[in-house]
Parts: sequence; structure tokens; C-alpha cells
Amino acid sequence: MRRAVLLVFVIVGLAWPLLAPRYFVFLASLVFVNAIVAMGLNLLSGYTHQLSFGHAGFLAIGAYTTALLGLHGGGLPAPLALLGAGVVTAAVGVALGLPCLRLEGLYLTMATLAFGFVVIEAILNLDRLTNGADGLRVPAARMGPWALTTDGARYYLVVVVTALLVIAALNVTRMRVGRALLAIRESEIAAQASGVPVATWKTIAFALSAFYTGVAGGLFAWLIGTLSPDAFDVFLSVDFVVMIILGGLGSVPGSIVGAAVVTVLNDALAGFQNYRPLIFGTILIGCMLFMPGGIAGAWRRQTAP
Amino acid sequence: MVISGLATGSIYALMALALVIVYNATRALNFAQGEMLMVSAFLAWTAQRAFGLPFWASIVVAIGGAALLGFIVERVIVRRSPTATHWDVLIITLGLSLVLRALAGMVWSHDEFPFPSLFSNRPVVVGPVRLAPVSLGIIGASLSLMLALYVLFTRTRLGRAMRAVAQNPRAARLMGVSVERMSSISWVLAAMVGAVAGVLVAPVVFLSTKMGLIVISGFTAAVLGGFGSMPGAVAGGMLLGVIENLAPLYLPSAIRYAVPFLLLIGILTVRPAGLLGRATTRKV
Amino acid sequence: MRTWIIGLLVATLTAASATPAAAQQGVTDTEIVLGCSNSFSGPLAFTGEQATRFGVDLYFRTLNDAGGLNGRKVRTVYYDDAYKPQDAAANTKKLVEQDKIFAVIAPQGTPPVVATLDYLEENKVPLLFPFQGSPITRGKKYVFSGMTLYDRQSRMMIDYLVGERKYKTFAALYQDDEYGKAFLTAFEKDLARHRLKLAAAEPVKRGATDVSAQIAKLQAAKPEVTFLVLVPAPGAQALKERQKIGWTDTVMVSAGPLTDERYLSLAADAAEGVEGLSLWPDPATSDLPGVRQYREAMKRHFPKNEPNRYSLSGYFAAMLFSEGAKRAGKNLTRESLVTGLESVKDWDSGILPPITIGPDHETQKQGFWVKVEKMRFKTLTDWLKSE
Repeated sequence: MRRAVLLVFVIVGLAWPLLAPRYFVFLASLVFVNAIVAMGLNLLSGYTHQLSFGHAGFLAIGAYTTALLGLHGGGLPAPLALLGAGVVTAAVGVALGLPCLRLEGLYLTMATLAFGFVVIEAILNLDRLTNGADGLRVPAARMGPWALTTDGARYYLVVVVTALLVIAALNVTRMRVGRALLAIRESEIAAQASGVPVATWKTIAFALSAFYTGVAGGLFAWLIGTLSPDAFDVFLSVDFVVMIILGGLGSVPGSIVGAAVVTVLNDALAGFQNYRPLIFGTILIGCMLFMPGGIAGAWRRQTAP
Repeated sequence: MVISGLATGSIYALMALALVIVYNATRALNFAQGEMLMVSAFLAWTAQRAFGLPFWASIVVAIGGAALLGFIVERVIVRRSPTATHWDVLIITLGLSLVLRALAGMVWSHDEFPFPSLFSNRPVVVGPVRLAPVSLGIIGASLSLMLALYVLFTRTRLGRAMRAVAQNPRAARLMGVSVERMSSISWVLAAMVGAVAGVLVAPVVFLSTKMGLIVISGFTAAVLGGFGSMPGAVAGGMLLGVIENLAPLYLPSAIRYAVPFLLLIGILTVRPAGLLGRATTRKV
Repeated sequence: MRTWIIGLLVATLTAASATPAAAQQGVTDTEIVLGCSNSFSGPLAFTGEQATRFGVDLYFRTLNDAGGLNGRKVRTVYYDDAYKPQDAAANTKKLVEQDKIFAVIAPQGTPPVVATLDYLEENKVPLLFPFQGSPITRGKKYVFSGMTLYDRQSRMMIDYLVGERKYKTFAALYQDDEYGKAFLTAFEKDLARHRLKLAAAEPVKRGATDVSAQIAKLQAAKPEVTFLVLVPAPGAQALKERQKIGWTDTVMVSAGPLTDERYLSLAADAAEGVEGLSLWPDPATSDLPGVRQYREAMKRHFPKNEPNRYSLSGYFAAMLFSEGAKRAGKNLTRESLVTGLESVKDWDSGILPPITIGPDHETQKQGFWVKVEKMRFKTLTDWLKSE
């Protein structure tokens, strides 16, 4: 049964651009991109219980890196451009993570919050490079001689990248890294005492999280085609937090479901500016009060006898 | 410029104080403090517009409304959270800030409105300097409120009980202090302090649903002063206000908007305990 | 199980391929769908709401009640971009590809509109009368400008201030994006024609309201005239800040997009004596027949909403679209709409001076001078020339 469901998902997923109207192809790509960010944020928050309000900043770095590589990189193929975006973002993540490691939960949250604002200001002030507040046009992704200019082509690129990153994320949580991170979440001091090098693992978590978000940023840039700094504001970071809280902390399928729900809601409510924060805020409060563990947690309780 | 910086700073200081009051009682950060401020300022405005209340009465409405809001939030929402760790409260108040902003947008729209001020905007010339009464008024009102808080915390039984909870909740409980009651009182008190800040700042930045973002400057001020320390919060707020106002005079004007965040990251990486705070060592 | 899956797939495939291709997207025998991405939150929330739901929709309601355009009723769809270019781009994609709009009407703000320009032009979707004036919209086949373009505004302002008022030193406080910079470039060019230069120019970040440092720096440059190229809240903030520091020996002049009742009421008594270029007749008091009809329609459909120039501008945009669509005739396509609009000549709206569009696709080209006296704009000149 489980296999059959999975099979349906894979078939529908692959045939989607043939089935769905153009706009829904775009929307589905957006869901996957947000799912990558949610997985990335979950690597940090879910496994180490460090909340980040700066992931919109990481997304912006990845997006602008990709856009700039496209403009000045001389037809760099898409996988390399994405890798570049991921690595640059991860490097920034480490640079932010190292000094922040000494901070406890609350302070780390504030540091990431401030980081998000600093990224926006940096993009605004580096206007020679980033075109400041007017926004940057992103050249289409390239695969050798082809440019991915249709929604369908971009969709398949997004699907392949997402699949790779999902597999990687599932394995991270099964490997030593994942176990070490979980130990840190339960008790940092106990983990330290049992010989887990807490600082190293936390840095790795930060770097991985930033890498995922950077790659997502690259895909995001190609999907939207226009970047402007003010769209990567703290409210976008909050959207990501809603995704993982709703989906379930520390769960990869939860991240995907959370991302799907938030993205589709966001799109459906584009004309009603007040309902978006109202619903997302209610989701946050509701999850904390009545559904800790989010959808993934509820699912586990349902399926377990 | 310094005076105007101190005026902005006093607002930040009040925000920081409100955050610290809640933090000390519950070890949690109230992310919705800014939105609570915004809602109370709107209440004052509505009271004035709809019922023709005089200005002072509308301030009373704002403070009263804020107190009620703080009470409801603490009793009905925050206290029901199963574990009430700082993580839970942070996310709950984050959700609350979104909800409050959306509701305010539905009731009052996302427009800017002029808000009347107690103090005139026209400068008076004193010797060689021009002073704006509005800045002096803000500083004066904030200082009186801080003084009142100081008296409350040092001279009254209630204040001492709250400080006891801040220092060691378990010991305080053993001494017969109700930690839950102190938590309620702190939320109410913080909301009231926030309301005063809201009424003071609304004439300057205009009344709008975006006002709540001022909470971020409050965080910065509180961290600057060492989170948990009340005199630190005041000093941090003032310092932040002055730096924000002076920096653009010597650097490009655009720097104004980045100052609080650069300062926040800087202080966290160099001296996480804040300028006045003491480093704490954690015990298992 | 497997047959069920395959059945489902086949069903969806046939459903997807069976959708017939419409003759013209957004136009049926009974309906025309228009839309735009606009600000319903963020710094221009008031403006966006007024221009669309109380402006464009106001005219179309009146029109639909009277039978519509060639038997077609006009329906509108709006999404919120909060003045962020990236969100405007995404919203516009949704409007074109999902809501299948016929044309974009009256979106707002230079940066958001510019972010959608290329996409709309590539997809041959008309972009009609955006509430912005950057000259970057010139020379596009499917774009018709709305507001008097900024270079024309700048020319009228500088020629009037230098020529008739004999001012010599100028400074500007501008929003740090395409809106502000388009004006700044034009100011510099027009001042150079008079062998003058800008003495100082200070940027303000989009969405920010604190402008104290910028005002202090501008005061130090001692300009006779200070241009404000901002949106209402920071514009009013600049006036209050000037009052606070007691800076009286400069004339504050607001650019066309800013000259409105909104920023006046926010600044209150700090606005006294401010001058500016006005692009619209006074919506509350003007006796022009078109403005009077607008006020009556407002009273009938939205009795609680005060007349203002944003809803008037949206109302005018809808009116102009209808004129173009009427000229396009029964067979309304994007191409015939463009031809229809290009044929508009000496058309009297009863709101603005007669309008001729022609191949340059510029609808408005004029403005006049106003000064604030006792919280109202007092007209100082007739319509100024921008040629």
C-alpha cells in the first residue's frame, strides 16, 4: 500500500507538467523549492532546537549568487551554478554560525533575526552589483547549449534537485550527524559530556542548513525571474518557520507537507492580505497548544496503535 | 540631534523594559510586544475619534486596554502551552503577533494615520540651541515612568516578589510567592509600559499596523544592556537611539537603517552578556 | 489498485487536453477580465486600495449597471504586492496564467511595475495606465503610460521654478529606487539646461519613515528649493522633521505622485506653505463635469469613502480603457485594443484637458502648480507645458 502511494506520487510528479495548467506547474515548482528550505531549516531547528529567523537572508544570498553567476558567469551550467549558490551560502552560514555558537537559544534567534535584516541592507547598498531596490532580472538557467525557459523545463530541474536533497536529508538523519544533532537537541550538556563535539556538529548543522537554503535560493531565482531585496524580509523567514512547525520538527516528510500547505495557502490568499498572517499566526499558536510535533507528530500518533 | 536621539532612545528603552519584565518573570521572550503596543495605540486613537474622549482619557483607555490584552494573552494562550519553555512561548507570541497585525489591519486598515501629541512640534529657542518640545516631552514622560518602575521594583512588596522570581523561581516559590501570579502581573505590567511607549511614539512615526516592528529595536536595546537587567535596558535603549541618530551624520544616510542590526550582531558576537551584563555560567 | 491509478491518470489527461483554446484570453461574449498587482499593505496601501477597489471598480460598476461594453461586463482581479517588485512579478504571472486576464490595468509604483514590464511585453499582455511615471515604459508596444512621465514632470517643475520664480539653488530628498532616481536624473538634466546644479541630494530607503538625518544634511546645503520625491508617510515625516528643527528658509516642493491630500493630512500644520506639481484637479471641490460625475458615483456606490485623487486616477484609467475598448469594437482583442487606444484624439473626459494618445502611448502630459494654504491645495497656475 505504502509503495503504491509512493508510486502514484512519483508518476503524478513526473507527468505533472503534461497534466496541469501552466500556472500550477509553476506553483508545484515553488512548493518543492520551499520544501528544500524547510528541510534546511529543519536540519538546524528540528535537530538542534535553534530557531532561525534569518533563512530568508540565506535564501536571498543563494538567489543573488545564482543570478550574478548567470549574468557574469559565462553560461555556467545549472548544476554548477546551484552548487556555487549552495557553497557561498554555506560559507556565510559558517561565518555567522561560528561566533553564534556560544549563544543560547534565545540569543541565537535574535542574531539570526538581525542577520536577515543585514542581508537586505547589504543587497540594497551593493547596488552596483545587485541593482539595489529596483531588483535584478535573472537570466534563465542553462544546461550546456539549452536555456531552461519554460515552466516545464524548470519544473523538472527543481524536481531532480529536490529528489537528491530529500535522499540526502533522509540519510543525514540516519547517520552519525543526525544522531549527534538529536543528542544536542535533547541536552547539549549531556551530549557534550558523552563526548559529542557539540561545537563542531552545530557548525555543521548551520552549514548544511545554509547550503540547502542557498540551493533553494538558486532555484527560486530562476522560477521567479526577478529578485528584489525587500521580498526576502523577516515575514518570509516566518513563513519558513510556519512550514516546519506545521509539518513537524525534525521530520523530512513533515517539511515537505508543511511547505506544500503554506505555499498553496499563500498563493490562494494572494488577494486577501489580512488572511495570510491571520491563518499562519493561528497555525503557529494552534500547533504549539494542541499539536506539538505538527502534522508529522499527529501522523505518527495516528498510525502507531 | 543628541536630544532627538535620546527621545528615540527612551522609546526603545521602554520597549526593552517591557521585554525584560516578561523575560525576568517567565524566561521567555514576548515577540508580540510590538503588536500589543500597536493595538493599544490604535485603541487610544479610536477612543478619541469615536467617543470624543479627551487626550488624557484616551491614554488611560490605551493603558487599560493593553493591561487587559496582556492579561488575556497570558491567561488564555501562553499559560495553556503544555511545556511553556522559552521556545514554545517564542513561537506562540510570534503567531500572536501575526494574528494581532492581521486583525488590526481588518479593523483599522493598513493605512497611516496622524496621531495627536501632547507636545508641540514647533521648536523653542533656548540660548544657542533649538529644542523640540516633542523630544523633551518624550524623554520626560519616559523618565517618569522609569522612575515609577524603579520605585515599584525596589520599594514595594510586589516589586520585591517579582525580583525574587526573576532571580530564582524555585526559591521564590518556597518563600510563598506565587510564581503564576507574578507571571500574570508581569505580562500586564509589560503591556502597560508598551502602551505608554506606543502613545508616545505614534505621533512621531504615525499610527499604522507597521508600528509593531519597533520591537526589534527593543530587542537590540535589551541585548545591548544585557538581557534581564532593567537599568541595562534603559542604558541600551538610550545608547541605541543616540547612535542611530548620530551615525548617518558621519556616514552615508543609508546606514541609519542598518545600525540596530549591525549593533545587535556585533554585541552578540563580542559580548553576548551585553555591555552591562555579567557573564553567566550554566550549571547542570 | 493499479487500474484505479491508471484510470485516474487517463481521466486527468483527457480533462487537461480537452480544455478548448479561447479566441482571446480574458474576453468572452459576456465578460472582460482585467486585473493588477497593487499595494494593499505596505507603504502605499491606501493609494492602492483607493485606485483599484474605489477607483477602477467604481467606474466599471457604473458602466456594468448601464449594460457594460458591447454587452460585456468588466470584472477585475487584484493581488497584493506590498510595493515589492518580486511579489509584483509573481502576482502578475498568476494573473496572466491562472486568472487569464485580458490586460493589466492601473498597477502602482515604479519598482513593482518595472519588474513586470518584460514579462508582459513578451506575453503580449497590455499594461494599461500604471500609476507611476518612469520613462522606462516608453517605446513598448503593449504599454500605455498613465501618470505624466517623470521627465515631463521635472521639466515643468524646473522651468516654472527657475523661469517664473527665479530660484537658483535646489536640493532633493528622494526614494532610493527607480522612482526617485528617474526624477533625480531628470532634475539634473533640466537644471543643466538652465546652467544650474543640484546642491544636495539625499536618499531615503523604500518603506522607511525616519528621515531626520537626511533633513539635517539637506539643511546644511542651504537650498532655496527642496524637492520631495517620496511616498506619503516619509513625505509627511520630512515636513514634520523640518518643522521640528525650525528650518524655514526653503520652499518644499512635492513631485507629482506625492502631491495629495493624504500626505497633507499626515503632516497637518507642518504642511503649510508647501508647494507642488498637481496632476489632477481637486477631487473634492472641482466643478469639472467629469469630476462631478465621479463624486456622484462615489456617493452612490461607496458613500463612506471620501473622494481623493487616487480613486479619481483609477476611475479615469477605467474610463480611458472603456474608450479604447469601444473604439476596438465588437471584436475585442489585445491588438484591436492597442489600435483603439492609439486612435484616441482630443478626447474630453471632463476631468483632464483633452487627451490625444497616438503612437507615443502617453496619455497624460500635463500638470499645474499648487500651494498649501490652510490644509487645502490652492491653484497657482493654469496647466503647464511639458513639450
